[in-house]
Amino acid sequence: MLRSDQIMATVEMIQKENLDVRTVTMGINLLDCRRDTVKDTCNRVEEKIAKKADRFVETCNKISKKYGVPVVNKRISVTPASFVGAGFKRDDFVALAKSLDLAAERAGVDILGGFSAQVEKGITDTDREFIASIPQALEETERLCASINVGSSQKGINMDAVAMMGKTIKELAERTADNGGFGAAKFVVFCNQPGDNPFMAGAIHGVEEAEVVLNVGVSGPGVIARSLEKTIKKRGRENLKLDDIAEEIKQITFRVTRCGELIGRQVAQELGVEFGVIDLSLAPTPKVGDSVGEILQILGVDEVGAPGSTAILALLNDAVKKGGIFASKAVGGLSGAFIPVMEDAVLADAVGKGALTLEKLEAMTCVCSVGLDMIPIPGNVDAATISAIIADEMALGMINQKTTAARLIPVPGKTVGEMVSFGGLFGASPIMEVRNVNMSGRFIAWGGRIPAPIHSFKN
Amino acid sequence: MKKQLVISVMSKDRPGIVADITGTILDLDGDLADLNQSVLGGYFSMILIAEFDEKVTPEDVIARFSHIKSETKIEANIKEMAVPLETLKNKLPKETFVVTGQGENRKGLVKIMGDFFNQRNINILDLVTTRDHKLYTMIFQVDLSNVDSVETMRNDLAMLGEQEELDLVLQHNDIFRATHEIGTPFDQDIRE
Repeated sequence: MLRSDQIMATVEMIQKENLDVRTVTMGINLLDCRRDTVKDTCNRVEEKIAKKADRFVETCNKISKKYGVPVVNKRISVTPASFVGAGFKRDDFVALAKSLDLAAERAGVDILGGFSAQVEKGITDTDREFIASIPQALEETERLCASINVGSSQKGINMDAVAMMGKTIKELAERTADNGGFGAAKFVVFCNQPGDNPFMAGAIHGVEEAEVVLNVGVSGPGVIARSLEKTIKKRGRENLKLDDIAEEIKQITFRVTRCGELIGRQVAQELGVEFGVIDLSLAPTPKVGDSVGEILQILGVDEVGAPGSTAILALLNDAVKKGGIFASKAVGGLSGAFIPVMEDAVLADAVGKGALTLEKLEAMTCVCSVGLDMIPIPGNVDAATISAIIADEMALGMINQKTTAARLIPVPGKTVGEMVSFGGLFGASPIMEVRNVNMSGRFIAWGGRIPAPIHSFKN
Repeated sequence: MKKQLVISVMSKDRPGIVADITGTILDLDGDLADLNQSVLGGYFSMILIAEFDEKVTPEDVIARFSHIKSETKIEANIKEMAVPLETLKNKLPKETFVVTGQGENRKGLVKIMGDFFNQRNINILDLVTTRDHKLYTMIFQVDLSNVDSVETMRNDLAMLGEQEELDLVLQHNDIFRATHEIGTPFDQDIRE
């Protein structure tokens, strides 16, 4: 048997530090679902998801009970809908969205991702119809999430698409105004979107993936925070340096990742499907004690957003990767700490106190995953300004060869400092200030492309 | 014809005790197979299996042990193995779980757990307990092959824990291997 102190350390991690597996996401290829008519295609999509995900939730629950480790979220991602519905018109995509939503409900999952398109270089006629369908599709469905990839380090940024994104987000928010613009919370714009990310709202089953794949997201920031608190108390703050802290994060991430890999592979084996990747992202939830912001506070800034926040985040993100990569056979997805404002109570609090600004968040996204995430902004911010914020964030991803994303929610009828709450995992936050509004219209009006950066020419 | 003896030895711990015991076995032309030793509270305990010529008797081994000089006498127990070692399976059962229990020290805590497992026909594969001031910690490695529902077992343990003021946790053995061993493969049966 193992040493008793090791056993008790693991028991403590599971029981007191709330170790879990944050998400198991089943990716399903839908490219073979295309039929002569929209209706037949939709039927086939529903049938295929029902068949492949038949025992998915039940099996996750069974393995979770056996190991005594909760699998918090069970989700499905599918092939980007713009490929599945090539040639569809706007209304056809709305019909496909409803089928995907129904399929998710029948499979017992709370979210299905993949109502998506990839337009980083050019926009096809289908892509235009698809993008036009997004506001209505998300308004009329419950479980569906949408995403668009508008840029990549290889191809540059499609600024025509970026301009469309601002308008799409505005329309989405306005269509769901009764619910604080919640529709925009289900829509993400990406640069370098990965095809194996298990986290929502940006999960897709990339066209490069196998027929059915299971991707797993590891436990949240709470385990790391509790472990750091314990170490600091036990060894004494005066006896620790930052490299000791980094080492502790590495060690705990190793154990957390191993648990995720064990459970994910057991589920995959039981279902007879391929295991894809472990995503090392630390995804906070609005629950107290499950916050990335809290880790920043533990490591020495009194408020998130204070000078030093970016440096701490860089240390955290890097240590998580170092611990996790050795622990898993296959790491992928986003694999970095998330800083979604509404979903992280400490970040939302810092926004309320004026400590955390949009500009500081943007800087922080240079050293972590995934971008300007779940940020409520005043409802009257114009579409061009939203597009310009997205363009800035995409540029960070393109130049730094990393994934970046923007999930901005212009809350209709509300302004800076007012609270908005979506409940559950989507959380709550005061509305953030957007400075220099209405000053980027001429830039967005150019359209065209920001060419691929020089370091993409490696051939 | 060879025979296998299972030998258990206890004495006060000191440097050289392993050399003395294994030296005695070598003197009798014995061939060591599996061996396990531990030290608790300054006392050394060892259980081992060794192969000897047919003519070597347990009494011969005990007689040789009595020549070993030590602060306390070497106490040994020797039995002839009923089943040869090769036929025994060392692999852990598939349903190997770990039950940890912690609570304020009092008499009878291990007995409470022993009864709980016994009532359910659960075999204890390994057991370590420690007393640290007032805190008593028990770690049982158990075989749940005869248990129909792990969930029921977990609920029963929770009830027992409440009743006896013990913090009882049931986890699969694989979790501990995964979190503390490097190189454990996950896409095959990790017990192999």
